[in-house]
Amino acid sequence: MKRKKLKGINRIKSRYGYLFIAPWIIGFVIFFAVPVFQSLWYSFSEITLTTDGVKTEFIKAANYYYLLKEDPVFVTNLIQAVTTFAYSVPIILVVSLVLALLLNQKFRGRLFFRALYFLPVIIASGVVIELLFMTTDANLSTAGVSSALTSSMFSVQDVVGWLGLPQMVAEYVADIINRIFDLVWSCGIQIVLFIAGLQSVSGSVYEAARLEGATRWQEFWFITFPMLSNVTVLVIIFTTVELFTSTNNIVIDKAYSMMNSGIYGMTSAMLWFYFLIVGVTMGIFILLYNRLLMKRWQ
Amino acid sequence: MKKRMKWNVKKSVITVLRLLILLAIGYIIIYPLLYMIVTSLKSREAFYASARVWIPNMLDPIYSFATAIQATDYWNSLRSTFLFEIVAAFIEVVSCSVAAYGFARFKFKGKGIFMAGLFLTILIPENMIIIPRMVNYSRMDFLGILGGIESLAGIDLRPNLIGTPWAFYLPSLFAIGLRSGILIFIYIQFFKSLPSELEEAAWVDGAGPIRTFISIALPSSGVVFVTVIVFAVIWHWNDTILASMYLKKDYPLAVMLDRIITTLASYGYYGTKRPEVISILMASCLLFILPVLVLYMILQRWFIESIDHVGIKG
Repeated sequence: MKRKKLKGINRIKSRYGYLFIAPWIIGFVIFFAVPVFQSLWYSFSEITLTTDGVKTEFIKAANYYYLLKEDPVFVTNLIQAVTTFAYSVPIILVVSLVLALLLNQKFRGRLFFRALYFLPVIIASGVVIELLFMTTDANLSTAGVSSALTSSMFSVQDVVGWLGLPQMVAEYVADIINRIFDLVWSCGIQIVLFIAGLQSVSGSVYEAARLEGATRWQEFWFITFPMLSNVTVLVIIFTTVELFTSTNNIVIDKAYSMMNSGIYGMTSAMLWFYFLIVGVTMGIFILLYNRLLMKRWQ
Repeated sequence: MKKRMKWNVKKSVITVLRLLILLAIGYIIIYPLLYMIVTSLKSREAFYASARVWIPNMLDPIYSFATAIQATDYWNSLRSTFLFEIVAAFIEVVSCSVAAYGFARFKFKGKGIFMAGLFLTILIPENMIIIPRMVNYSRMDFLGILGGIESLAGIDLRPNLIGTPWAFYLPSLFAIGLRSGILIFIYIQFFKSLPSELEEAAWVDGAGPIRTFISIALPSSGVVFVTVIVFAVIWHWNDTILASMYLKKDYPLAVMLDRIITTLASYGYYGTKRPEVISILMASCLLFILPVLVLYMILQRWFIESIDHVGIKG
């Protein structure tokens, strides 16, 4: 008797669940699912703008064919954008995790530093950063802070050369140091997400570990890090989307200017192609993260 | 005794090291802000005249700021930012909390599929679907209903949303606006961490689910709202892509700033390396971030605290 009643409540409750997410489901279909398929369709179409909306004509994979075979810059732009993306994600991940760990400790001036480190969340504007780059030294394509760091004393290439690293590595290292400002400024929301994650790890786990005589390093490596696995995946996804939508990105920049000229079919093809490659790269990151780092605790 | 001293040395080394790292990266973070302020205030002569970087000897703030206000059409575009973007942000904050509560508190059939859909909205960026959305907005149809009415009755009811605030409000109303997925995700994590006993007691007492949500769940969710409001407002404030596609005039501030180089060129300021142009550009950047900076200074304490309580489960 009692059991039946409970079941009844649960059934009512499940109905109310639909009530709460009903608007989202409608919105998901109208404003997300349908446009995603349209966008895919557009990428295989020739689109002409008419007064009566748009006219699409199916042209198979001609847009993609053009981009890969005939477009003079797309492939080089794509390679550049994807490599930038591929090394940015791990750096942003590590920097934001380290900063979140530092800011999560209890020390004097913590509030001040937190307020300071959340500034990039507030001013996280691609436009402002782009204008900053434009007005400062164009050769380094970065703000004065790293040019002061590198050009006044020595060139990064030289240092890497002394260490005997190959030229390609040297170029990447130089590029990373030149972008340090950009990278640190991309960490704002990631730091926030990591701190939120760190706070949800309960303190009793650490107490137990300390009683067992764990060192701080072991505490981090065997408790904090695995506890953060979901947040880490979220940060990887967020960073990917952030880098993907950024106008500093050479492929996206081109796509926007084509979009504004009304070349919709080709733009859609370009975006989808880039998105697939970025998506695969992101998938590899998450897989590597799960296989190499998470496996050890399973 | 000796051991204790050693430990103290180790501890103070850690403290100093931490301080050094925090200060070094803090400098990287604060640098552009200081650079903007100083450069926007510098007079043209100060660029050539002196090696003093941080405290210029000649100040001429009025010129650069006046030109910046003119070039970005500051007051009008600020109004557009509020009318289009900020209102949409607040609508999104409310609608996302409703959807998230449904996901966090109720069990229902097909939840897994909907969660997968939610994950897709986080994964697929806004600019992948901006073109079809814009095309659809020019003759908005709701699941073919309005189009059906047209073919039956011959009246075209499909409204043109381009250039109206509805292009921004409608997706927000359905919790599918700018980066809604992440906001819903943050809400879900928070609602799951709220103890459900109080809500269950309200159920037993006969309060409906909507009432339970409004008068029990929401009042204890202040912290998550601060985080979500800050995120939603910031993302909308900085949005250029949606606004430049959905609007034909009355652009918000971010779009005006994005196009400022072209605007300045039309005033006769070419290039981005000339002192007067740099001053104007930095003044515009400063004017752009100023309102959110003020908002942040007001909300800062709550925001920093709220992050500690949002708690994303690992």
